[in-house]
Amino acid sequence: MQRTNDGSAMIFDVQHNSFVDGPGIRTTVFFKGCNLRCQWCHNPESQAMEPQLLFDAEKCTGCGKCREVCPQHLKSCTLCGQCALYCPGDARSLCGEKISVQALLEQIEQDRAYYEASGGGVTFSGGECLLQPGALGALLRGCRERGISTAVDTAGAVSWETLEAILPDTDLFLYDIKCISNGRHRQFTGAGNAVILQNYQRLLSAGKAVWVRVPLVEGFNTDEEELAALCAFLRAHPPQRVEALPYHRLGERKYRALGADMAQHTFPVMEQERAEELKKRFREST
Amino acid sequence: MKDGLAGIFARLAASRQAHERDAERLEFVDALETVAQAIVSWAEKCAGEARQLAGSAGEGESKARLEKLAAALERVPLHPAGSFYEAVLSIYVTYSFVPDSLGTLDRYLLPFYEKDMAEGKLTRDEATAYLQELFLMLQGRMKPDDVRFHRGGESHFCVGGYTADGEDGFTDLSRLIVEAMLELPTWVPQLSLRWTAKTPREVLRYMMDRERHDANKRIAFVNDEPRIRALMQIVGLPFEQAVRYTMLGCNELALPGGIMMGSAMENILLCVERTVYGRAAELPACRTYDEFYAVFRQELHRLMEEIVQYEDAFNLARARDVNLVSSLFLEGCIENAQSVTRGGCTRAIAQPIFIGISNVIDSLSVIRQFVYEEKQCTMAELLEALRCNWEGHEDLRTLISKKARFFGNHDALSDGIARQLTSDIYAELKDHKSVFGYSFLVGNLIGYNQHNKWFGSGTRATPDGRHDADMIQFGIGQSEGKDRSGLTPLLASIATCDPNGILCGSSVTNVMLDQKLIRDDELFEKTVLMMETYFRQGGIHFQLNYVSPEELKETRLCPQKYKSLRVRVSGFSDYFVALDGDLQDEIVTRTEHAQ
Repeated sequence: MQRTNDGSAMIFDVQHNSFVDGPGIRTTVFFKGCNLRCQWCHNPESQAMEPQLLFDAEKCTGCGKCREVCPQHLKSCTLCGQCALYCPGDARSLCGEKISVQALLEQIEQDRAYYEASGGGVTFSGGECLLQPGALGALLRGCRERGISTAVDTAGAVSWETLEAILPDTDLFLYDIKCISNGRHRQFTGAGNAVILQNYQRLLSAGKAVWVRVPLVEGFNTDEEELAALCAFLRAHPPQRVEALPYHRLGERKYRALGADMAQHTFPVMEQERAEELKKRFREST
Repeated sequence: MKDGLAGIFARLAASRQAHERDAERLEFVDALETVAQAIVSWAEKCAGEARQLAGSAGEGESKARLEKLAAALERVPLHPAGSFYEAVLSIYVTYSFVPDSLGTLDRYLLPFYEKDMAEGKLTRDEATAYLQELFLMLQGRMKPDDVRFHRGGESHFCVGGYTADGEDGFTDLSRLIVEAMLELPTWVPQLSLRWTAKTPREVLRYMMDRERHDANKRIAFVNDEPRIRALMQIVGLPFEQAVRYTMLGCNELALPGGIMMGSAMENILLCVERTVYGRAAELPACRTYDEFYAVFRQELHRLMEEIVQYEDAFNLARARDVNLVSSLFLEGCIENAQSVTRGGCTRAIAQPIFIGISNVIDSLSVIRQFVYEEKQCTMAELLEALRCNWEGHEDLRTLISKKARFFGNHDALSDGIARQLTSDIYAELKDHKSVFGYSFLVGNLIGYNQHNKWFGSGTRATPDGRHDADMIQFGIGQSEGKDRSGLTPLLASIATCDPNGILCGSSVTNVMLDQKLIRDDELFEKTVLMMETYFRQGGIHFQLNYVSPEELKETRLCPQKYKSLRVRVSGFSDYFVALDGDLQDEIVTRTEHAQ
C-alpha cells in the first residue's frame, strides 16, 4: 500500500457546503484509496489509490477528439489527462489529483465564516483517509492551529496506532459499522470486522466523540438477526449519535464509467417507509 | 396618515403663495389640488354609500361594521388617522394614487397598533382582518386578463430593517403582517425581510420557514448593511432617512416619499465587445494584463458616459409629461410645484440597470488567466477565435469552459477582477449626477421583459465562451453553471464583489438549492445559518428556488398537472407553466446545476 507522507494527498473531490458529514456546515475532503471493497459503495472511484480515467459512454458524442489529442492514440493510457481536458461532452474525466497540504488548508480556510456560524468545520473522508496518515496528520494539525473543528470519516479498518496518532487533533469521528457478523463482513467488503469493532471500542474508551454510520443494504444487513445484533452492539457501546444510511443507486453510473461489472454492485432499493422505520430504530438504539 | 389630506391642502396653499408669479407652477399646484380633492370626494362617496347600506341592513354585526366604516371614511384620509383601523383605511383609499408599494408597513402602522392594543381597542384578529382586506384589494387590482395577472411582482413591501435609532425593527406587528398575508391564497402582494446585523436568528429562521411552506413563494430577503451604507455614502442620505428604504415591484429599491428615476436597461457587456472587436488591433501589443485592462478601462469609461447621457435623455423624454398622481405624495413636489418627472422630488436616486455583469467579469478573467498568466493562447489567437465565433477553435473554447477560473468559485483571480470592475464602475459614476441632480446606484435585475436574451442576441462572441447571440446574464452569481465549487464559494464571491456598494440598487441573486436542504428540518437549520453568514459577509439579496429539475421537466410535459407550481424568476415569482420557453430552459439549467 502506497503511503503518502510528502506533504500532499491523493484527493478525488473537495466539497464545500457539505451539510451531511457531521455537525454544522462543513467542507469535506475526499481522499482517494480504500482498503475495503464494499459491494454497494456509491463512490467506486474512491477505491483505487491511483488516479483513474472515467469514461461515461452516455455523454460520448463520438467526436474523436480524445483519439486526436492522446499522445498514445488511445492504444494505452499514461493518465496524462489530455483526453479529459479536451472532451467537449465531459464524457471523459480524470479522477484523483495530488494536492499539497498547504493548498488544501487554503481551500478549507475559505469557508471559516460558515463553520463559525454553524458549529461546522472540515471532514476528512474518502476512500479511507487513514491510508494516507502523513498527509492526514498534517492536515489535522493545520486545522487545529487555525482553530477549525475537525472530523474524520473512517471505516476503521486500520491499525490502532494509526488511529491513535490522530486522536489529539480530531474532534469527531464518523465511524462506519456495517454489520456484526464477521463472515458476512468479509464476504461483502473483502475484509473481516474484528479490527473495526475493536478500534471503535477503543475510540469510545479514549473518550472521543463518535457518530456511527450504518449503511442499510437489502440482502446484506437488513435481516432481523443482523439488525438486532447491530442494535445490541450499539446499545452496549453507545456512540454520540447513529445515522442509518439507506443504499441508493447514484453510484451506478460511476461503476459503468469505470467499466465495472454492474451485476455485482446492484442491490434492491429499500421502500421509503421501511427506510424511515429502520432509521428510527437505529436512532433509538442508543 | 399623520397629517391627512388636510395637511397636504395646507402645503398646497403655501406653495401657491410661494410660486404666485409662476403661471406654469401655479397650474401644476392647481392640478394637484384637484387630484387631492378627488380623493376626498371619493372617500365621501364611499362614506355615503356605507351609510346607506347601513341604513338598509338589519340590526346586527353587519350594520355596526358599515356604520364604523362610514364614520371612519368621514374622517380619513382627509384628517390624520386616529386608530389602526383608520390608518389601514387611509392606505386603502389612497393606494391607487401611491406608486406600487405599501413600503415599510410594519413601521408606520406600529404607533397605531401599539396604542390601540394598549388601550384594548384592537385585537390581533381584528388587525389581521383589516390587513387582509387591504391585501385582497391589492390582489384585486390585477385584472385576470392581464398578462401579468399571475406574477407576484406587484406591490412588494418590506418588514423589519433598521429603525432611526439603529435598532432592528422586526416587531410583533411585523409577524402579524406576515401571518395575515400568508393566510391568503394570493400571490400579490409579496414582501421582503430587511435583515440587519441585529436581526435575531430566530426571526430569519421564522421568515425562511414561512417561505419554505409558502406555495405562492411570496417572501424574499434583503440585507440592510451594504444598502444603508450605500444610501448614506453614495446617495448622501442621513441614516434616519436611509433606514426608511423599501423594496417594491419585483425587487426594486425605493425611498418612501422619494423616487428611483430611470431604471433603463443597459447591456454592460458592450464594453467587452467594443474592446475585443473595436480595439482588436491594439490588443496584441499589450504585454501585461494591466496594459490590456487600460484599454478595456477606456471602453468602460466611454460606455459609462454614454449610459449617463442615455439615462438623462430617457428622463428628459419622460419629463415632457407631468405626473399629477404620485407627485402629491412625493417629498418636494408640492413645495417645488414641480412634477416628479421633471425633478420635483427632493429625495431620489438615478438608477441604470446593468445586464451582463457576470459575463464581463468572466471575460476579463479568461483573458487574464489564459493569455497573461498561463499563456494557454496568445491574444491574437483568442481574438481570432472570437472573430470566427469559436468555429475552428472549439478546443480553446472547451478548455475555457473546463479550466477558466470563473466568477462564483471564491477564486482570488475572478473575485479580484469583480472587485476591480465594481470599483471602476463606482469611480465612473460617483461624481456624476443625473439631469435632475440625483446620484447613481446600479441595479442588475430583469423585469417582465427578457432583456438578457435581447441584449445577448445583438452581442458577438465573448471571451467567457459565449457564442454570437447567446443570452447574457442578469443578476449576479446566479448559478448559471460556472460555479463549480459549491454554494458557499458562490455566496462568498457574490458577498464580497462590491466593496463600494455601487450595485446596491435593484439587485437580485437567485439561490438554487437542492430540495432536501429545505425539506429536511436538520438540513434546513443549516441552510438558515448559511444564508445568515452570506448576509454577514455582505450579500445584498437572496431568494430561494428548490424545485427539482425532474419536477420542472415533468411540468413541461404535462403542464395541466403542474399548474400550481411557482418559481422565482428575477425579482418576481410566477407559475412555471406561464413562463416563456427560454425562461423555462434557463430555470431548468440553473436547477440542474444545484443538484
